[in-house]
Amino acid sequence: MFSNHRAILSNYTYEQIKRLKSLHHYFDEKVTYPRDERFKSAIYDSEEVAIFSLLGSEKIDFHKEIYKRGEKIHFIKILDTYYLGAMYLIIEVDDDQVWHQETLQTIEIYVSIAFLFFTIFGLILAKLFLKPMRDSIVLLDRFIKDTTHELNTPLSTILANIEMMDRAVMTEKNRKKLERINIAAKTVSTLYEDLTFLTLEFERENHDELIDLQTIIKERVEYFDTLAKSKQIDITLKLKRVEFVIDRKKIIRVIDNLISNAIKYNIRGGTINIILDRDSLIVEDSGIGIEEEKIDFIFDRYMRFNSSEGGFGVGLSIVKKILDEYKITIRVESKIREGTKVILRW
Amino acid sequence: MVKKTIVLVLLSVVSYSEDAYERNCVKCHEGLPTTLQRMFMNYIETYSSEKNVKIALKHYMRYPNKNISVMSDLFLKSFALKEPLMISEEELEEAINIYWEKYKVIGKLK
Repeated sequence: MFSNHRAILSNYTYEQIKRLKSLHHYFDEKVTYPRDERFKSAIYDSEEVAIFSLLGSEKIDFHKEIYKRGEKIHFIKILDTYYLGAMYLIIEVDDDQVWHQETLQTIEIYVSIAFLFFTIFGLILAKLFLKPMRDSIVLLDRFIKDTTHELNTPLSTILANIEMMDRAVMTEKNRKKLERINIAAKTVSTLYEDLTFLTLEFERENHDELIDLQTIIKERVEYFDTLAKSKQIDITLKLKRVEFVIDRKKIIRVIDNLISNAIKYNIRGGTINIILDRDSLIVEDSGIGIEEEKIDFIFDRYMRFNSSEGGFGVGLSIVKKILDEYKITIRVESKIREGTKVILRW
Repeated sequence: MVKKTIVLVLLSVVSYSEDAYERNCVKCHEGLPTTLQRMFMNYIETYSSEKNVKIALKHYMRYPNKNISVMSDLFLKSFALKEPLMISEEELEEAINIYWEKYKVIGKLK
């Protein structure tokens, strides 16, 4: 830390030794100790006894080459030849604090360089580690985008034809088969809607309008009725009349996802309670539940906690995005083998 | 007879009025070109402290050796090595102490 001082003080000692040498040879005709405006000095013998001193402080640390005492810096030079019997020459200068500032500056520079280096290194490493993950997400996104286009027409045809079929003339056996086809087609349709929304429609402009939530929920429950009945799930509705300004397509995606999850992850013969209040919507099921530590991650894209059910794991990610957009909070309470409760508040 | 006695008494008074340093050192060095002051400076230039100088001096007085002399080879060649100083321990120490006090640098610099 005294690197600059060391060089200067070393120079002073060199000059002072030359003067001491001269005085040594002319002693005792000359007895005036050499003085210098730039520094104060002292000479000590090998027993550390002062021969002559101009220093402010007599406390000398003979074991150090350079050190700070109070506001002074001491530099100690051990002489090769003991002029005037002096083994130690001590040079004292005022501490101008320059070394302190310079040391701080040096530390700052090194810390900055190290920080920059580690940041760049960290970024490169992170990029390297995340690349395979990012690649697979991009691939999945592209795949979804490409396939959703192709799904629309056949899916619409299937659903339209199921609706048009005359169930009255069908045998019970065929009617059941048709119901199953209908359920399967609606499941695919929900998935298709999610994927389309995710890849194509999320960036479109909102068409906010006054929505009667009660009506929408009833419609969507009816839409999923066949699916619920197939698992003998009983859906109970406690709906108050609530109006909300929101994009119709978006609120349908939220409700569809919540209901379809409640059905999908429910047990056979289970129940679903949908409670709509003035400032909240609760969808509660008696399903398999989610482990507590996984609840925080359920809104992550492509996150699926139960591989026994189909899907891409995009549903709740869409729900969260939409709700965040409209500043609606979502909370999930769940217990394994008891069920899950999703609470929306606005 | 009286005259002889007076001279003897005077001589012994003069002799004992000199100190150990003057008796044992000054007289021998009178004929040398290098002063005792210069020799002292050579001693402190080599041995630095009072303690070391006195030890070195005492040793050299008893056992003179050109290898440990503070004088130059030229000086030793010109004036030969001194004879060992065969005086009492007290006398030698006294002489060295006086020598140190006479020429020491400590307290003389301004």
